[in-house]
Amino acid sequence: MTTVVERPVVSDVRPGSSGAAVAALALFETRRLLTRLPVVIAFLVYLGWTVWQGGKAWDGYPALQDVDRATQSAPMLVGLAVVLSVNRAALRSRRHGTEHHFAVLVLPPWRRTVAHALSVVAAALLTAVCVAGQFGREALRPGAIGHGSVAELLVGPLIVLLSGLVGLLMAGLVRSAIAAPLTVVFFLFLFLFFTGGMSDGWVRWLMPVVVEPTASTLPSDLIGRPAAWHALYLAGLALCAGLVAVLVAGGRKPLVMAGVAGAVAMTLVGGVAQTGGDSPELVKARERATVNPDQVQSCVRRDGSTYCAFPEWGPRVADWAGVVDRVRSLAGGSAHEQKVVVRQRIEARYGLSGDAALMPLERPHEVTVGTRWGGNRVPEFSAAVAGVLVAGTEKASTSICDGRVVTVMWLALGWESDPVAALRRVRLDDSVTGSAFVLQPTDGLYMTAAQTEVLRELLDRPRGEVTARVKSHWAELTEPKVTAARAARLLGVKAPQGDDKCLD
Amino acid sequence: MPRLSRELIFTACRTLPWGVVGTAGGAGLLLAALTRITGETGERLSLHLLRAAVLAFALGLVFLLDDPARHTTATVPTPRPVRFTLRVALVVPATAAWWTAALLLVPPDLRPPVADITLEAGAAFALAVAGAAVAVRCTEVTRPGPRVAAGLLTSAVLVMVGWPGRWALFVPVQDDRWAAAHDRWAVVLTGAVLVGALGAVEPLRRWSWRGAPGRRAAGRRGLRRAGRSARVQEP
Repeated sequence: MTTVVERPVVSDVRPGSSGAAVAALALFETRRLLTRLPVVIAFLVYLGWTVWQGGKAWDGYPALQDVDRATQSAPMLVGLAVVLSVNRAALRSRRHGTEHHFAVLVLPPWRRTVAHALSVVAAALLTAVCVAGQFGREALRPGAIGHGSVAELLVGPLIVLLSGLVGLLMAGLVRSAIAAPLTVVFFLFLFLFFTGGMSDGWVRWLMPVVVEPTASTLPSDLIGRPAAWHALYLAGLALCAGLVAVLVAGGRKPLVMAGVAGAVAMTLVGGVAQTGGDSPELVKARERATVNPDQVQSCVRRDGSTYCAFPEWGPRVADWAGVVDRVRSLAGGSAHEQKVVVRQRIEARYGLSGDAALMPLERPHEVTVGTRWGGNRVPEFSAAVAGVLVAGTEKASTSICDGRVVTVMWLALGWESDPVAALRRVRLDDSVTGSAFVLQPTDGLYMTAAQTEVLRELLDRPRGEVTARVKSHWAELTEPKVTAARAARLLGVKAPQGDDKCLD
Repeated sequence: MPRLSRELIFTACRTLPWGVVGTAGGAGLLLAALTRITGETGERLSLHLLRAAVLAFALGLVFLLDDPARHTTATVPTPRPVRFTLRVALVVPATAAWWTAALLLVPPDLRPPVADITLEAGAAFALAVAGAAVAVRCTEVTRPGPRVAAGLLTSAVLVMVGWPGRWALFVPVQDDRWAAAHDRWAVVLTGAVLVGALGAVEPLRRWSWRGAPGRRAAGRRGLRRAGRSARVQEP
């Protein structure tokens, strides 16, 4: 018995079903992309590096306008792995000779390219989660201040997206496995060249990540990085690469053409707008914050002392007040009750292009505090407060050249739980013997070998005993021209052997 | 025998991936030639440029052992080490010529110490070929090139980014560690040559880390079933 097929077989190709097929293929490609060995290694190294590095850079007191920029460089490693893996994945059917088999399926080549592009989006989203985790971890620290920028945070995921789509485009243009690795070598070198060789000018904004040469922190409204335009530029570049890849694969639909035109327009708008330089208002605001910070700062009083800070640094006042109180508690005479004015100062006129030193203040009992805190910044600020208590003004305290340095450094370090470690951190050459410069928020202080010797003796003795001696001999210890030997005699420690001559 | 060797050389020469190696070499020469136009920054960049050129050429050498017909040539009388050595021997003169050209493209006053940088280049090339040899030995793929290239590139970047300073490999010329770093490069070269030599030997039986998943799973199931029935049969 035979049966006759009366109806021809109708293939199940409806307009809607190919969207579902693209989604299914995208899911498959995503799973494959995220389990490739280079991608897995890159993500592991990236995660390990960020977790290991987390909290080290800001000593637990991060400014979020710096943290957002610090999330940008590491995703380049992921981008590198993604560009190679996507390129390999897009060339897979050609490599295995299965291109002809795919020709009978419902998916034309350009839809397969779309599926590959969607898998890159998944990798970018995963990077976005990592970036958000890194930023969130710093933002949740109790000492965090300032405001992060979403546009800066977007750069990391956009780099992964851009590199993946460039890999896809390379696969469409050059059907050779060597193309993607060679492109990566060129990009690596270009990045090195532009970040190292041409650090200035508008050209550097054409690179995906724009690294600033300075480590100083500015209020978020004075940073003046065109972050939003740069994110638009990167997104436009990524869209260009992705849509041109679809075009090359044969998806010549009006929608794709319009998309390419839109992406080119986006890239141009972002690329031109980001190179505009600093606006006159920004220059004026930076000038005002540097020269007349009191116009933009708000001041609070605590225990009689005044603390003037930029609005974002309000929560830090308690930390500064704690240091001022501890230093004053060790001082004697009128300095024990002396009210000081702590003023936060920045040098913002050059933006983030370089580090500039601050000049010491000349008004009496006014101390400078910087924008960073934690780690070495604490003993530095402590030394500046002690100097003002002893010498009266910051200008006078940074030019002290006699035995008063012993008193200053005792006030600055005597309250610390590990004063010798703090001494090592506050000195420029990390030494605890011999002569060295002591760092402060403004100009430094010079410690001679003899003064260091006396101070070490003091730090080895019980704190209560030394505090009592300092208070009882306060007037003699803080009079100008006192020598280290006399200070040692007054404080009851053995006379120093070292050199007691400060630099000219 | 001499006639056979001549034919062998001719055939091997034809099957070498000259296109890929040539492209990589061209890209490398382009990078090396950039030192001529970088002006005063060239002095700082010439070493980086030469290293980038070496990396580019090494990425081409990774494809040296790609052989679509490897499953049919496994049974020919000429053993794999001979075929492997033949391929390497054929590409060595080209590599030497390329390296000389790359060095000559760098202006003489910007050129890093030639012997040391040649050692670095040799180690990189040896690593590339050794990686390909190990991939051929340990997998069944006919074209391991792209995979090894991705691995080589990723590891190069990782070494540049996160290699501990105590064992630094990529050091600038003025650095005190230059000499010590080149002792390490010599170790890398020796290690790569050894690994490459070991990888060239034909394995006695086929095995792979990444066989067809269905087949492997079925094989395990079969083994387990066999084991169970063996136990059942025990008294």
